[in-house]
Amino acid sequence: MKTTPEILMVDDNPADIDLTREILAQSNGHYHVSAVKDGAEAISFLRQQGKYAEAPVPDLVVLDLNLPRKSGREVLAEVKSDPKLAKTPVVVFTTSQASTDVVRSYALGANCYLRKPGNLPDFVALVQSMASFWLGFASLPQKEQR
Amino acid sequence: MQARNEADDADYAAPGTNPRQAATDPSKGDADTVGRKLRVLVVEDEPADAELMLCALRRAGSEASADVAQTAEEFTQLVRKNSYDVILADYKLPNWNGMESVEVLRREGLDVPVIVVSGALGEPTAVECIKQGAADYVLKDRLARLPESVRRALREKKLREEHKQAQEELARSNRDLEQFAYVASHDLQEPLRMVATYTQLLAERYKGKLDGDADKYIHYAVDGALRMQKLVQDLLAFSRVGRQGLTLSSTDCNTVLQAGLKNLEAAIQESGAVVQHDQLPVVMADSSQLVQVFQNLIGNAIKFRGSEPPVIHVNAAAKGKEWVFAVADNGIGIAPEHAEDVFVIFRRLHTHAEYPGSGIGLSICKKIIEQHRGRIWVESELGRGSTFKFTLPIKAIPGGKDRENDENYT
Repeated sequence: MKTTPEILMVDDNPADIDLTREILAQSNGHYHVSAVKDGAEAISFLRQQGKYAEAPVPDLVVLDLNLPRKSGREVLAEVKSDPKLAKTPVVVFTTSQASTDVVRSYALGANCYLRKPGNLPDFVALVQSMASFWLGFASLPQKEQR
Repeated sequence: MQARNEADDADYAAPGTNPRQAATDPSKGDADTVGRKLRVLVVEDEPADAELMLCALRRAGSEASADVAQTAEEFTQLVRKNSYDVILADYKLPNWNGMESVEVLRREGLDVPVIVVSGALGEPTAVECIKQGAADYVLKDRLARLPESVRRALREKKLREEHKQAQEELARSNRDLEQFAYVASHDLQEPLRMVATYTQLLAERYKGKLDGDADKYIHYAVDGALRMQKLVQDLLAFSRVGRQGLTLSSTDCNTVLQAGLKNLEAAIQESGAVVQHDQLPVVMADSSQLVQVFQNLIGNAIKFRGSEPPVIHVNAAAKGKEWVFAVADNGIGIAPEHAEDVFVIFRRLHTHAEYPGSGIGLSICKKIIEQHRGRIWVESELGRGSTFKFTLPIKAIPGGKDRENDENYT
């Protein structure tokens, strides 16, 4: 039986989390979205530490770059250098349009870099295609294989 | 204007002749040296001559202390160790030429005026000294002229320093302004994105569920947010041109034009535009910026077209030390009184309904061309098409001659 895909969203902007949740809720697929608002929490969540001991294992991490405490770049570096986490696809989802951020993110092992669109129709289209691509079309390692 | 002239005069007048300074203390020299002795370095092999020069200065009321250098080595050491107000250099010395001191100072990065003090020098040599950077020359049998010459040299140096300072100040405030534009436009994007997406969400979800006014108001808010987004993005693009710096390389303008045309493919097809070009040169330029220039100019030529399909011709001609590029169209043209307005950021001559756009394209072109040490302008008449011209410095690299002239793109 197919389980509901798990998404972890790491973003300090509640408006973007709400909007993404909203769009995913209205879409055809069923997704479960967890959200944390800084990089340090993201690492605890992924390692199921502390209050995240019972946290679900995400199938996709949607990561903002500019975050308090621990930046998205640090999270990315940590995730991709940890054999236990490295196989989880990480989509960078940010307002930054600096080409250096794009290059650095891929160099650190990001699976995809997406810029947050400035208007609703584009935002909706992007979130829907991101979810359907990564959690629909793409073959991902089984959880027990990670 | 009277007061202004007086002030100007006072700036240039020799202290002895300035009534205000004379009233306070006639013995004090130039503003630079008030309250301290004039530090002089004399380049001279005749001690008696050196003494005569100092006497001439003292007689005019300048207290001067002097070191004497006889060789180039001594001179270099002294200017490295001490700071001098002025250098008095004999032209003919046993082992070197006093003018070489100018060269030493330049190498050491020092701005100290050098006055050549010499026996009969001859007009051509004297002129040559000034050309090479001496502040003045004074004949040894006319030493009474020396104090005035020193004062003038000091005054000129001060003006040079003030000028340099003003330029640095201007450059700094320019940088600050660019930084401001960048930070403001960059940081405005995030909150604006929130406003835009959420007003759009409101519009989508509550359209027809509130009263008619509410729908209209939400529409205004969405429209305003989206327009402001466009402005902020354009401002960001504009400030980026200055921030990223130039990556100059040998750039084939034929290739650059092709790249610009490729980006305009849709507009060219939709309008039925014909773009022709002559053989274009190879220049030293930032190629991606140059693509933007061609793209913006040709894009405008298409956008501001008349009733006929656009016909656009691009060429370049060498004129003196620069290439003059021209992008000529058969569009609606620009009234001569607006010929400069069009390059001002966010300046638009038409309403959004007539021609969309935020008025950023030409200001970006101007910034790019000026960064390349060129100029840009427009020659046009209302209803008779426009020719945008810009210049780029010539770099002697032969262009790709294998291309055919007058290729057409339809």
